[in-house]
Amino acid sequence: MINGSGIWTEKYRPSKFSEIVGQDDVVKRAEALTNSLNIPHMLFAGPAGTGKSTLALIIVEELFKENWRQNYLELNASDERGINIIREKVKNFARTMSLGRVPFKVIFLDEADALTPEAQQALRRTMENFSATCRFILSCNYSSKIIDPIQSRCALFRFKLLEKKDIEKIVQRIAEAEKLTISSEAIEVLYEGSEGDCRRCINILQSIASISPLITPELVSTIIANVKPKDIRVVLDYALSGDFERAREKLLDIMLKESLSGQDVIKAIQKEVWNLPVEPGIKVKLTEKTGEAEFRIVEGSDPFIQLQALLASFVLAGLGRG
Amino acid sequence: MTWTEKYRPKFFDEIKGQKEAITKIKKFLENFEKGKKALLLHSSPGTGKTTLAYVLASEKNLEIFELNASDFRNREKIKEVLKPAIEQKSLRKKGKIILIDEVDGISKIEEGGLMELLNLIDYSSYPIIMTANNIWDRKLSSLRKKSEIVKLKELNYNEIKNVLTNILRKEKRFIEDDILTIIAVKAKGDLRAAINDLQSISNLDDVSFVKFDERNKETDIFNSLRQVFKGKPSEDFLQIFDSVNMPLDDIILWVEENIPKEYRGEELAKAYDLLSKVDVFKGRIHKQQYWRFFVYMNIFLSYGISASKNLEKIREGFTSYKKPSRILKIWLNNKKIEKKKSIAQKYAKYVHVGEKRALKEFPIIKQIIKSNPRIQSELKLDEQEIEYLNGE
Repeated sequence: MINGSGIWTEKYRPSKFSEIVGQDDVVKRAEALTNSLNIPHMLFAGPAGTGKSTLALIIVEELFKENWRQNYLELNASDERGINIIREKVKNFARTMSLGRVPFKVIFLDEADALTPEAQQALRRTMENFSATCRFILSCNYSSKIIDPIQSRCALFRFKLLEKKDIEKIVQRIAEAEKLTISSEAIEVLYEGSEGDCRRCINILQSIASISPLITPELVSTIIANVKPKDIRVVLDYALSGDFERAREKLLDIMLKESLSGQDVIKAIQKEVWNLPVEPGIKVKLTEKTGEAEFRIVEGSDPFIQLQALLASFVLAGLGRG
Repeated sequence: MTWTEKYRPKFFDEIKGQKEAITKIKKFLENFEKGKKALLLHSSPGTGKTTLAYVLASEKNLEIFELNASDFRNREKIKEVLKPAIEQKSLRKKGKIILIDEVDGISKIEEGGLMELLNLIDYSSYPIIMTANNIWDRKLSSLRKKSEIVKLKELNYNEIKNVLTNILRKEKRFIEDDILTIIAVKAKGDLRAAINDLQSISNLDDVSFVKFDERNKETDIFNSLRQVFKGKPSEDFLQIFDSVNMPLDDIILWVEENIPKEYRGEELAKAYDLLSKVDVFKGRIHKQQYWRFFVYMNIFLSYGISASKNLEKIREGFTSYKKPSRILKIWLNNKKIEKKKSIAQKYAKYVHVGEKRALKEFPIIKQIIKSNPRIQSELKLDEQEIEYLNGE
């Protein structure tokens, strides 16, 4: 499974069905379909870093062998500007016949649940138009966010969150190959911090290893803490102390510097509310306000306005009039 | 300290281009006695009316008693405020002038206040100086009859440019000549606006991109904001932003920027809650193409924001509103993180992950790429990208 990359998520990416960890049922079904040399459209649903892209890659490598690159198109719905661009790319790709031993090409559409229901309708038409020459593998976090007509056209594969023992197995394997020393406490912290996301876990491991071959729980915690938007607390403190203008200035700085979306910030605020030095009743009130703000971000058009409105209600809570 | 404050003239000979007006004002003061006319200074914004009054006071060693239009909201109040000012000459040596700034801000609803002002002109033992942008409104006709009218000269762009050059010299900064010209021309005679623009770009490394909005638009938005924030909510406000020559999206940004300059606590929360609803309706229009929602956006943005304040204690006095800064900040930031984005893009493609996700995890990814030249060549990073990694 080892290829030449210096990036460990690539270097240790499974290249055979048998190497995928923690998804036995899914892998068994996928392997059987691949061996029959005729796969249906597929929908991979599951949390980030559980092996969806990897399984797709293994399937196409098995199907097309050395020709897989010409017969495989990878798209990411949340990066492409709109469904029309996606359709255009699909059209161009599907125009030519497949090379090799199977009569179709494969299109992997990652984060398909980032598409609006209307865009998914358009996608469904595209899938139908090209079903003679293309198979689609869609991946998403929640299958419920994919419209029924698409679900019914796909074979559904549910990926499970990796368990601690799965992560442990993977980490141990890498540690051995890279000559790292890692304690089981450190693995524990790594597992908690990566929330079962294998990609994230390996990335954290490699970024620590670039500093020291001895992986301690402290190092893991420091690296993990670094990526959380910890400054959100500073923003909330300004707001609670009544300094609205400082709070919003700081918030904008953080969002720009860390490339955070409105939803990222809301998520961080919602978690941070529990750590604020306020009465339990206020915590509930603030959480309610946060939920309302998140709802309005989804409905509205400018998340920063919604976040300012939320900060203004924190100011009010700070005055004891929440 | 803003430069407009720091470099506000303190003596007559520091005031540029207003010789004629200064002579008239001096004469008015010398000849003043009880029962005579008041002095009405008028010109477009930012030419120095208020400054002139203050310089007059300091050169003649007079105390200034300042009022503004909102003090004329009701008769009782104005009487109470003015009593100590007009009743008897103080025994101390220092005389007084009464300064009424922006007298054209007295609205129709407050005609009682205007009557009171006319009375005041008759009975005051102290000279009254008023300032206004526009004195030709019908409601001010009786006031014009009781006033000696002095118009300040509009400054031309060369005079403005000279002032800007002087300020830069004192601040020991340098800005290219043609950019100063742009600022001076676009200011359309508004020196204050020009100085504000100058200060706002003085800290940027690269100002070549700066394009100034035509200042005309801004005077409109300033007036509309002032009315919404300081005025009593009135149905007239529903049309208030129509006359502002600016897309509604921009007006939303102006309101967003300036709410905290006027409102506190509960008012602040109420106003932002409404602004948030404005945005929600905007989102619904986009998604559903149902344009009637526009009505609600407009009502919340004008009347709604105005009614969010505590009407019992409206904050009076002059507020200087700020141009929305968010869009400029985002633009500057995008410039700054261009390299970060291009690295994340290359990485994302290479390891089969979304770009957004790569950006979110960038701190970790950066550490990995930075510490390993082999990965840098694997991803085909160019020199500038590598420089960015090492520079941060």
